[in-house]
Amino acid sequence: MSIDRAHASSRVPTQLLDGIRVEPEEAEAPERRLLVSAGELARATRALLDAGGHFVGTFAAREPALTLRVLVAYRGELVVLGASLGEERGYPAIARVTPAALLPERELHDVTGIVPLDHPELAPALRPDPDQLPRRVVGDQTFVIPYGPIRSGVFEAVQFPIDTGGEDVLSLTVRPYFKRRGLEQRFAGLPLDHAAHLAERIAGISTVAHAFAFAQAVERTGRVEVPPRAERWRAIHAELERIANHLDVGVKLAEDAALSVGVARFGSLKEQVMRLRARLCGSRFGRGVVAPGGIRNEPLISVGEVLGTLDGLETDLRRDRSLLLRTTSFTDRLIGTGRLDVETIVAYGGVGPVARACSLGIDARLERPYGAYPNLGFTIARATGGDAMARFDVRLQEIDQSIHLMRQALEHLDRLPAELAVRVDAAEGEACGWTEAPSGELVYCVRTEGSTVREVHVLTPSLRNWPLLSASYRGDVLTDVSFIEHSFGLTPAEADR
Amino acid sequence: MSVVLAIGYAGFVASVLATALSARLAAATATISTGLVGAVGIATAAAYGTASVAIGSWLGFGPASLLSDRLAGIFLAATGVVGAGVSLALLERGSSKLVAGLHALILLAICAVIGTDQAFVFLLAWETISLSLYLLASADRERPDALVAGYFAGGMSKLGGASLLAAFGLLYAKTGSFELSVWAQQASHLGSARDAAFILFVIAFGSKLGLIPFQGPLPALYAAAPGPSAATVSIAFNAAFYGLWRLVFSVLGPAPLWWGEVLISIGALTALIGILYAIAQDGIKRFLGFSSVEHGGIATLGLGVALVGEAAHLPKLAAAGLLAATLHLLVHCVAKALAFVAADRVSQAVGDDELRPLGGIAARLPVTATGFGVAVLTLAAMPFFGGFVSEWMTFMALLQAFRVHNTIAELVLALGGAFLALTAGIALLAFAKLFGGVFLGRARQQLAVVRERRFAFGLGALTVLALVVGPIAPWEVRWLGHGLQGVLGFDLGPQAVTFPLVLGPVYQGFSVLSPTWDAAGISAFALTAALLVRLLLRPRVRRAPVWISGTAAPVASVQYTPDAYANPIRVVLAGLYGFKRTIERRRDEQGREISVAQTRVVPAFEDYLYRPIVDGSVLLAAQVRRLQSGRLGNYILYVLAVLLAVLALIPALTR
Amino acid sequence: MLEWLFRGLRHGVVTTRYPRRPETPPVGFRGRVDPVGRGGVGLEDLCPTGAIHVSDGRISVDRGSCVLCGACVAAEPELFSFVADYQTAAHRRGALFTGGKGPRTEELRPALGERSRTLRRSIHIRHVDAGSDGSEEWEIHALTNPYYDMQRLGFFFTLTPRHADVLLVSGGVTASMREPLLRAFEAMPEPRAVVAVGTDACSGGFSAATGEVAGGVDQLLPVDVYVPGSPPAPIAILHGLLLASGVLTREIAA
Repeated sequence: MSIDRAHASSRVPTQLLDGIRVEPEEAEAPERRLLVSAGELARATRALLDAGGHFVGTFAAREPALTLRVLVAYRGELVVLGASLGEERGYPAIARVTPAALLPERELHDVTGIVPLDHPELAPALRPDPDQLPRRVVGDQTFVIPYGPIRSGVFEAVQFPIDTGGEDVLSLTVRPYFKRRGLEQRFAGLPLDHAAHLAERIAGISTVAHAFAFAQAVERTGRVEVPPRAERWRAIHAELERIANHLDVGVKLAEDAALSVGVARFGSLKEQVMRLRARLCGSRFGRGVVAPGGIRNEPLISVGEVLGTLDGLETDLRRDRSLLLRTTSFTDRLIGTGRLDVETIVAYGGVGPVARACSLGIDARLERPYGAYPNLGFTIARATGGDAMARFDVRLQEIDQSIHLMRQALEHLDRLPAELAVRVDAAEGEACGWTEAPSGELVYCVRTEGSTVREVHVLTPSLRNWPLLSASYRGDVLTDVSFIEHSFGLTPAEADR
Repeated sequence: MSVVLAIGYAGFVASVLATALSARLAAATATISTGLVGAVGIATAAAYGTASVAIGSWLGFGPASLLSDRLAGIFLAATGVVGAGVSLALLERGSSKLVAGLHALILLAICAVIGTDQAFVFLLAWETISLSLYLLASADRERPDALVAGYFAGGMSKLGGASLLAAFGLLYAKTGSFELSVWAQQASHLGSARDAAFILFVIAFGSKLGLIPFQGPLPALYAAAPGPSAATVSIAFNAAFYGLWRLVFSVLGPAPLWWGEVLISIGALTALIGILYAIAQDGIKRFLGFSSVEHGGIATLGLGVALVGEAAHLPKLAAAGLLAATLHLLVHCVAKALAFVAADRVSQAVGDDELRPLGGIAARLPVTATGFGVAVLTLAAMPFFGGFVSEWMTFMALLQAFRVHNTIAELVLALGGAFLALTAGIALLAFAKLFGGVFLGRARQQLAVVRERRFAFGLGALTVLALVVGPIAPWEVRWLGHGLQGVLGFDLGPQAVTFPLVLGPVYQGFSVLSPTWDAAGISAFALTAALLVRLLLRPRVRRAPVWISGTAAPVASVQYTPDAYANPIRVVLAGLYGFKRTIERRRDEQGREISVAQTRVVPAFEDYLYRPIVDGSVLLAAQVRRLQSGRLGNYILYVLAVLLAVLALIPALTR
Repeated sequence: MLEWLFRGLRHGVVTTRYPRRPETPPVGFRGRVDPVGRGGVGLEDLCPTGAIHVSDGRISVDRGSCVLCGACVAAEPELFSFVADYQTAAHRRGALFTGGKGPRTEELRPALGERSRTLRRSIHIRHVDAGSDGSEEWEIHALTNPYYDMQRLGFFFTLTPRHADVLLVSGGVTASMREPLLRAFEAMPEPRAVVAVGTDACSGGFSAATGEVAGGVDQLLPVDVYVPGSPPAPIAILHGLLLASGVLTREIAA
């Protein structure tokens, strides 16, 4: 289990933070926790990012005292910077260090009233008014298309005001939080078991990843080891979820290119995966599987049945994929569309397939291995183009890797001890848990007390990648918008929470 | 009839003189004179005799008279009828004395150009038109662009006038006469002087018609002409086309094959480029000006077919081409004058000619909107409107390519057809943009109080004319058949119109069209549907706000702008337009960072045409390398190119 | 293109025959929770969303609030059990309570089959996400895949509510989505039907207690059909749509 790894690693980034007064935080935790002053939080963040770390998120922890937190993934460690606020209610904005903090800091301001000083666009974010459209581009011959919140198709609610001259996209703004349900606050006081069910419902399409990350955070506060058999099944469900997500991106992209048979074929493949998940656990989204301490039930079908389905899926997928990639009316719409360069992705703290499509090797499964992943072999799928095609290419490669991972996880499963879960009841303190969700690195910061949850903060890949979506428009036209959006594969529910 | 004609001409002179007393009086007199001339034109074209007014011997250039024979009658009819409508509009609106006088003078000169049988009078009248147009464009001294337009027009008409003078000099030197009929008799013995005269004529009349590459000043001239006098300018278009028609086809002809090929090529390019530039314009009048360039190109296409037909000894083909060109000219004359009169009412009501702030004024200017709508439907060649009939005729004439047994001519005809088809398609988009941008949707800026003017007789007359010019096409074609009989040697009426009111492209059995029945049928269907809905279904109407993705954003801020409508084409053809969009980063009042977009359209096609071939090849090489770019815009461009090629090949291959 | 055609053909027909033939859920499918037997106090606390009601020892589960998490089944396997069922939609909110007097869906099935046979008109659906967790959108979108192929029953998605007969709403209606949802309903021609898809849309589900959502679509709009589930399976949504088509047919007849 990775608790030991985290403890064992002792690469202290303090020399990076030269000139900044740093002290290790009192609380004992598996992550590297460092305390700085509020005034130096931004500088410390910049030092970590300059040294090659990537931004994970920022929030204000309410307990035990109001503390600003910035999470940075740095060389296989999760560095949690903390800064307690005294009387002053402001601090230099992290958004000046990385645009990835733009939305989280507006959210923080809305929720707590703390002011990120010199924030570039500090306006209320959480209850967006669909009628007040921001104009990013003014000037002659431009107008704004308010694409959303009710968009053309069966899509989630989000608004993309598009400044355009009619065909060329001059600027695309992302306005999330239309689906703000206040679920983070809902965690407070829930029993651990119920809280896991809630985590599953923050982003329906990443059900397993969320429950998995939440469970790991709880397990760290409770200091328990999850039985190996449960770890294997968690990984299998997580990879099935990844495949379903990536196939869904295929369906949507084929739909954007008006390739009906492609839509039908990828839709069939996705349905097969959903049905496999339903046969495994009774839920098409893998709900109710992951619980703090392990998994809840024995799978409903045998390992052999799972393997058989996977074989059929792989054969079908291989054929459909090669046909799709030979269909130029499809690939031409993706190649060069929504191109991002490495510098932009690093500056914006991009994660997931978006980053990997620009040859960045950001993947929590390898950076900070968790669960069964340290014992499973796989490679990071990467591409170099940085465009919609590269992002789709990464997803297709990851489907292969996922099937490969599942085969390994299913191997000799019956030789492992039959135990599926351990009890977590004396959980105390604060810890982080993470998974590589289909759309990127997902982190849960959890504070527990006994068998109830006190406070949860969810740092989602969707929220972090939204600003990148705006940044990816370089001479693209209106018809490219849906291609670019779908190639990102982000889910508003997860970003809004 | 000669007496009536004489009264008409005298009326013009009186009108010019009456300017000294009152602008309204001048306009009223002009209305009556144009009406009289128009009536004479209609009658003479229908072969009820000829009218002639002798004006004596001019400075030793030989005797001259202003007459109205069958051919001239057609053009006099168009000028007279439309001129009456425009004069009426001018009378209602009121104008400065200068404008009213110039209006009358231009009409007089146009009629003189059409009616004269002698080259010197022709030249004199022609120069009068040029000079008056120059003065008209400069009449509005408050607008800086008007002055520039005036100079530009003056400069370009110098070129045209010089060419005309050179051509006449050349012909006089060869024949020793200024009489058009003498030139016509001796045309076949002129040798290379005939070819030179042809080229000079194309330059001279092309500069007024707006043929490529001489269209430079024309759209600016329309935009600069004050009030409804832009409509006067568009009537002058008639004189230019008549000149080309008369001197090239009737005087210098029968022509060698390449004349027709040259005219078709020029016409096709002019039509396409005209409409492409029209769609990129921001001002209503400027837009209509470029649309005139387009229609000049289409009419030239028809004339080119006629020349090819004559050269290939196919009188029916010549007839088909002439019929199409002449009909198109008539229809365009009516519709364009109507459009300019309506456009003037718009700019008078809102105080601006720019498209950008406009929108949604149909409700406040219903009469103007109706007139403009009819004009737009005609100009965009929507079925059963006149423009559709004449463009269909032109297209059918071009489709007769297979009858000409000459590969180059066939290819040119076929390509002309392809260009025409593309032009018509883009024209639909362009006029949808124009009408939608001005009259539909919501105003983009707060407009001052907009009210319809009280009288609309000029507009109303022209609207009715434009509305019926399509459905009554069979009668028009019979009438034109009489008028053209003298030139063609046979009456095309029975060939082109068959029972019951069905039109064909002279060649019977090739294809048929009946605007009359279309109009009746479409109206009947529309009425029946409306009645059925009202009587049987009794719809309960609940009005809901405009659906904007679930927002209640102000409609004006999110609706497509007229520019946006044209933007896809502009982006695809960015190189042709010199279309550039730059984005500059600035900070707004609150210190937030915003971007300011600036767009620029440079109609600098002249540069492109004369740019050294080397540059072109370098550019081409770069474009070829970029073929595989994967950009949607480029692919649309390829598709357009391939479409053109295919449209051109089909008739060539299926002969 | 031809290759795609063959690719599509080689798999034969995978489409369900529902509603003419029943569609069997996989073994262990979590379609709904049924209480079995009688229970005492304290059972209410088993449910994170407060869907369990006990009165006089009689247990009732509010399927409109139940998120199918299975906390009750795990804690009291004798009192609660999952039932593998797709046809959970109902016309009235009250019919979602077990033991309520709603029509038994099993009896409805032949009627639905009949209706789909006679369904000559096409029904256009506009979907609005008013704060779902994103899974409902997947399941709604799945209706167009070859396994469900809702077009065969005359259902189509439309992009504008102006063409829509059915408003398919997911999510418990957040503050920001309130106005857009009302506008979508306002823009629809009559007769129109509103279908609430998913437990969130029926009652707000987990988010009902946060104060950020209205707590169900019926707080704002007249809901014609409730489709509970977290998320409901595609067949369950199809069942709801067929019930909604009945609403439309009835209103046209009236």
